[in-house]
Amino acid sequence: MDILCIAVNIVAFLALAPLFEGVIRKITARVQSRQGPPITQPYYDILKLLGKQNLSAGNFAFRVAPMLALASILSVIAFMPLGFQPNYLTRYADVITIIYLLTMGGVACLLGALSSKNTYALMGSSREMITMIMVEPVLAMTFILGAVKEKSLGIDMAVFGTASGFGWSSLIMLAAYLMALQAFVGRQPFDIAEAEVEILEGPFIEYSGPNYALFRYYLMLKQMFYAALFVMVFIPFVKTGVYGADVLIQLALVSVVFVVIALIGSTNPRLRIDQAQKYYAVLIVISLVAVGLSVYGI
Amino acid sequence: MLTIEAVKNQLKNKFGDAIKNFDDQLSTRLYVDIDRAGVRGMSNEVIGLGGRYLVSVGYDNIARDGTLGLIHTFSFDRDEMFVCLRTTAPVQDPVFDSITPDIPNAGWSEREYMDLLGMRFTGHPKPKRLILSDDWPEGVYPLRKEVPWNLMPPPAENVAYQLDECPEGCTVIPVGPFHPTLHEPAHFAVFVDGETIKGCDYRGFMVHRGIEKLCQTQVTYNEVPFIAERICGICGSVHATSYAQCVELAAGLKISRRAEFIRTIMLEIERMHSHLLWLGVAGHLIGFDTVFMQAWRVREAIMWFGEKLTGNRKTYGMIVVGGVRRDITPELADELRGVLTNIEKELMTIKNAIIGDTAIHRRTKGVGCITKEETMLWSLVGPVARARGVDIDARRDHPYAAYDEVKFDVPVLDSCDVWATVVVRILETFESIRIIRQALDKMPAGPIMAEFSEDVPPLRHAISAVEAPRGEVVHYLITGEENRPERWRVRAPTYPNLQGVPLMLLGNQFADLPIIIGSIDPCFSCTDRVIKVDMRSGEAVSVTGGELEKLSRAKLYAGR
Amino acid sequence: MWVTSKIKQVLLVLKPGVVTLRYPFEPHPVPKNFRGQPVWDHHKCIGCGGCAAHCPARTILIRDLCQDLRVMMYDGSRCTYCGRCADVCPEKAITMSEQYELATNDKNDITLSMELFMLTCQRCGRCYDMEKTNMIDKMGLKGFRYDNLEMRAVIHKATEHFDGNMIEESDRYRRPLKTGE
Repeated sequence: MDILCIAVNIVAFLALAPLFEGVIRKITARVQSRQGPPITQPYYDILKLLGKQNLSAGNFAFRVAPMLALASILSVIAFMPLGFQPNYLTRYADVITIIYLLTMGGVACLLGALSSKNTYALMGSSREMITMIMVEPVLAMTFILGAVKEKSLGIDMAVFGTASGFGWSSLIMLAAYLMALQAFVGRQPFDIAEAEVEILEGPFIEYSGPNYALFRYYLMLKQMFYAALFVMVFIPFVKTGVYGADVLIQLALVSVVFVVIALIGSTNPRLRIDQAQKYYAVLIVISLVAVGLSVYGI
Repeated sequence: MLTIEAVKNQLKNKFGDAIKNFDDQLSTRLYVDIDRAGVRGMSNEVIGLGGRYLVSVGYDNIARDGTLGLIHTFSFDRDEMFVCLRTTAPVQDPVFDSITPDIPNAGWSEREYMDLLGMRFTGHPKPKRLILSDDWPEGVYPLRKEVPWNLMPPPAENVAYQLDECPEGCTVIPVGPFHPTLHEPAHFAVFVDGETIKGCDYRGFMVHRGIEKLCQTQVTYNEVPFIAERICGICGSVHATSYAQCVELAAGLKISRRAEFIRTIMLEIERMHSHLLWLGVAGHLIGFDTVFMQAWRVREAIMWFGEKLTGNRKTYGMIVVGGVRRDITPELADELRGVLTNIEKELMTIKNAIIGDTAIHRRTKGVGCITKEETMLWSLVGPVARARGVDIDARRDHPYAAYDEVKFDVPVLDSCDVWATVVVRILETFESIRIIRQALDKMPAGPIMAEFSEDVPPLRHAISAVEAPRGEVVHYLITGEENRPERWRVRAPTYPNLQGVPLMLLGNQFADLPIIIGSIDPCFSCTDRVIKVDMRSGEAVSVTGGELEKLSRAKLYAGR
Repeated sequence: MWVTSKIKQVLLVLKPGVVTLRYPFEPHPVPKNFRGQPVWDHHKCIGCGGCAAHCPARTILIRDLCQDLRVMMYDGSRCTYCGRCADVCPEKAITMSEQYELATNDKNDITLSMELFMLTCQRCGRCYDMEKTNMIDKMGLKGFRYDNLEMRAVIHKATEHFDGNMIEESDRYRRPLKTGE
């Protein structure tokens, strides 16, 4: 049963991440008064990219970076307790591992960017670094909040613990996470590093073909992971007890979160990195406040 | 209020012996023939009297008297006057004093004639190639009459433009020649320190098409408006109108009042269209694609109306020398009023939606600041200048077409940044709607084409300025024989504005580069003046995609 | 302030909805007076050459093969659809059609070539009468013309009588590579 949960996790995420990306694109298009691509377009994009020539900058780091990124996000997904059911692997890791693995994904992006030796990739990777350094603390605080409440660093404890006894600290943390959600998924107003096609081509400028497909898949999975984390941590109210129904309900809530991401993304311009830094600093302070409150049991 | 007489007397008193002749047949144009030694002094004197530098025109007079001519043009905005200083130098010794140290904006004009006519300017701070590509052979000056218009010299290898040196501690980021920010090829070598811009060098004119040479050698007076219209995709009618006005001034032709009103309406329709387009582009450059899509959706209504009126969505082809080609029937006028009402409503909605949006404020306020004095020193024009407190507008200062009969305001702000240019352009669009409504009501009946019963007399000079959406367009024309211009100089508004861009970029973050360059609404095609519309042989002159790929691969394999 | 702006922005798009046109699956008609590809009516054409004299793109070419035959070729690859040819034609033989879907990879699809029998015509240009109203719309070159049709090049010379040498010379047209050629 537990091993089946791992398979369900991975299959659900792999299959649905492009679909949710398609939902974002469709909603963005509707906000822009146009028809938009079909919802299954990201699947076609990935398939098309896999069929292209794999141009490489030549060094080992360049070739291995996308695989590293995808591997890290898949490992994180394998650990998550989707459907309120901790699976076989959950007890073999704790929240620190999750944070490390997520950071490793980001570092793999940087590795790929820096190994391509392109000026634009350099600028994009510096922005990505700043974003990572300032936004990962919010994620860490989310887990630590649960860990403090349940007095344990286990993944299932931390994830379910944040919302147990839904008090002020959980509410403040929810607000902080929502405000940082756009930065986590890399959409306007915080798509400063990745999708900046106008100002810089971003850290993926030298990637094409299957390598780029892997990076795109990594980004889609990361997006879905953060949305799913939000649902798992902060919305524990709908719990039927049946595993299959819980998974489906959580996926439905994830799609609602995606709609919110799309709406905010399409109605905001992109911020500059120095403006975003100030914003993240405020978020870190808020999440620290939340953790502090939870220590006192509020 | 300075009059022409006052200017003449002032110049005569100070430079009596350098002046050869005054020509002021028209009450708004003064042409002064001077000796080349007095160029710099007199230019400074004209600026001191309140003039604003426009453009310099060089021309080849070798066949007639063995000289190269140079004309510096100035505008007196408060006094409705143009003053042109004409001078010549023998072709064996084509050396002039450069006026760039005092008037920075003349830098490009003088570099242009160094490339195209072989003149030399002593004291020019940056005598590098501007227009011609770096592998163009030395000694071949395209604007001289001896050079055929379809000359194709063999290309040279391994020749590149020497950009400025990068200052200490900075890296060079190449923005261009192909970059998603720019809509046309141009190269900005930006020197950054971390994320702050410390300097910039510009190499452009990659889409220089050679229109002036073409129109001086191959086409006739009434074909030039169609080529002029294609100098720029968006401000086509402006160039056609300005050229037609030059020819009409030179020939002494008066066109019918109805044609003038129709020209006014076309120009204002173009202004609305261009500003809506720019609003979308500005939104896109700051990453706000929704503003982009919505502004362009509103613009679509204008294009459909343009199609009904003129036969084409853009490049209207309405304006020829002597009037306009098509009439606005009463049904079309009613439809235009309906379109205007809709656009006004939609634009109001968009304006209310973005005027209070602090996210957009954060990207555009305080960005690209230069002071009013610097703007006036560099002779910037258009909404860029009006956003910095400089109150110039060719429609009000040098009235042409029907602008003397319509009432409109010129929005001028003084917060000196990109946000002010956004607001200025939105307000100008509302003003355009007002102008079109007044023009439709006041338009008299009458013919739309004037008739020419005789040839246009040769060797007459004329200068005309028209307010394009991006600023002031100046055309200088010398009529010629064989039913075509002898010399035609186009100065698009992006020409002076691009010279001010390095100043605007200093000290800003690199992420602001696109919106700063975008805020001048660059139209590099206007600046570079067109690709040859020529009768090419079956071989492609511009490199096709396949040839480019072959070239790139050949270089790659050669390097291995 | 910011929140109200955002709400206004979302409401802004609810009214127009989706404006995508399903072109090319649904045809999009053009208004009348649209300037599409010009169409010559060879019954009306008198071969005066006025259209060629006033085409800004020099995409209408004239070649007199002998005293009797004049070939007029419209090479649509450079046409800008300005409609000047239709304006100046004294016989109104040219109409601007509504055709705008002209993309093709074969130049001959958009090329129109007419061979006109002009036995006794001296190509003096008298039949082109637009000069009466507008002197600057006069024909620049009057006489026999020898444009190079293969390379789509206009040779800017006309002769009063038909000249066989000019035909041969125009066959050898090449772009100059040096000043003075």
